[in-house]
Amino acid sequence: MLQIESLKVFHGLIEAVHGIDIKISKGQCVCLLGPNGAGKTSTLSSITGTARATGSVRLDGNDIMALSIEERCKRGIAISPEGRRIFSNLSIQDNMIMGGAIRRDKTRLAQEIEEWISHFPVLGERRNQPAGTLSGGEQQMLAIVRALLSKPRILLLDEPSLGLAPQITARVFEIIRDLKKQEMTILLVEQNVAAAMEVSDYVYVLNNGAISSHGDVGKFGDGSDLMDELMGVHR
Amino acid sequence: MTLRLNINQRKGLVGSTLLSLLILAIVGAYYLWGESYQARILYATFVNLLVVVGLQVFMGNAKITSFSHSAFMGIAAYVAAICVTPAAMKAISLPDAPWGLNAFELSPLVSVLLALSITGILGLLTGLFMARLTGVGVTIVSIAILVIVHSIFLHRTDIFKGNQAFFGIPKIFDLPHITILAIAAIFIARLFRESAFGLQLRACADDEIGARAMGVDVYRTRLIAWVIGTLFFATAGIAYAFFLGTISARPFYFNFVFLTVAMLILGGLRSVSGAVIGTLLITIGLEVVRWLETGPDLGIIKMPQMLGLSGLLLGVVIVAVMTFLPNGIMGNREIEEIFKKDPG
Repeated sequence: MLQIESLKVFHGLIEAVHGIDIKISKGQCVCLLGPNGAGKTSTLSSITGTARATGSVRLDGNDIMALSIEERCKRGIAISPEGRRIFSNLSIQDNMIMGGAIRRDKTRLAQEIEEWISHFPVLGERRNQPAGTLSGGEQQMLAIVRALLSKPRILLLDEPSLGLAPQITARVFEIIRDLKKQEMTILLVEQNVAAAMEVSDYVYVLNNGAISSHGDVGKFGDGSDLMDELMGVHR
Repeated sequence: MTLRLNINQRKGLVGSTLLSLLILAIVGAYYLWGESYQARILYATFVNLLVVVGLQVFMGNAKITSFSHSAFMGIAAYVAAICVTPAAMKAISLPDAPWGLNAFELSPLVSVLLALSITGILGLLTGLFMARLTGVGVTIVSIAILVIVHSIFLHRTDIFKGNQAFFGIPKIFDLPHITILAIAAIFIARLFRESAFGLQLRACADDEIGARAMGVDVYRTRLIAWVIGTLFFATAGIAYAFFLGTISARPFYFNFVFLTVAMLILGGLRSVSGAVIGTLLITIGLEVVRWLETGPDLGIIKMPQMLGLSGLLLGVVIVAVMTFLPNGIMGNREIEEIFKKDPG
């Protein structure tokens, strides 16, 4: 479904990602692991179109590198960005409506918003309040729901557990597991190795802008070796 | 545009109705107890209200400061005035006008339509590059537009008479007209704020990249808001010319820009109710200050004359509001939400 080939990502003059290849099949949950500064978020930014990049990113065989950010969204790419970045001055409900900004079937959109609200009552109770008043975990839920309301073909999740309490992290991963059951294609960026491996089918490890290893999730066992590698522990 | 309103727009109708009742109450009070000189104050207030509510459309929703509104207001005022003033009158007031500008006259309706279209087209042309700029860029270019238009008004005296009065414009509008326009403006601005475009514009103000990642065409959205805004300013300019009967370049410059921006900031630029409340409060404040300026006798103490106090007041209001109430009185709230706490 999504094929990335010899992708280089730049921030100004600095090359943050040095030519990587990633492949994601339909219905798969692929996880991109790596320490801070490895280039994970840069990789996602090149898929959504917010970072300057070379190489190719193909969605169902069509190269999308030349497309604008907006057009990529219309093609079916949605992101729950790092640090949530919800529209803090808009109400919770308006954030959800924005998620479906490209959709024409507004009645159906309204129904789906109600469905999500029944799923997460806390969002419903405060639907008319500014989203900036939500807690970190609630904002993360909102960011994921907002991304899903565009009816994406592939969902990018950038560190959804960042800065969340353990119980809330568990809740977020429960959502990811549910999405997987519904055959959503997911590219997950995480530092929480154990939790990420539990939901993923395939793992890429990114280090200093290059892929140091990749394979089916089974290849990495319980992930403890991987954890050591990412933390820089040598035994 | 379909006639079906979304949930937020339906709430907007309630809010706009409340604001309209406030406007009607003020006008009603004038007809019951007012003195005739107050009609002028009220008329001027509602012209300002048109401008401030129009400012809310672009500046408030997109959160980008622009200062060119009085230029667009002036353009519409002059176009309408030149079209509607009888040729005989223009032969006296504009003896040297080129292109036969002093040799024709049009009906008020045609004049209004012409003034709106010319200003609208200029709004579109300026909008084409304004919508591509971001933040401070818009502010600086808008000041440039204001200065350019003003210097044309000042120096093409054969058409605009500069700082001298362009007189002889028939008095076409009166208090009922401007009241209807003010109420219509409130409804239109509120329905726009709650429309898909308004929502997208407000989302861009929070996180432009985020909104684009949701498929929003930021450029188109800003352009639409910019053009709608200029039409509000044009309406205000026409209403100004059609009531006063005399216009000159001076009122369409920095003082007016400063006044209306202060009104919007005081009320809170994110909300239409804020725009209305800010306009009314500053107007009341200025009237009180003007009375104080003359050095009134308060019975116990005789106040000294304090000329220039009104300019001081506007400056103090902007500084104080920016410091202590950065979101203005209303913040994110509209009038029907006034009893809700504003955490923003």
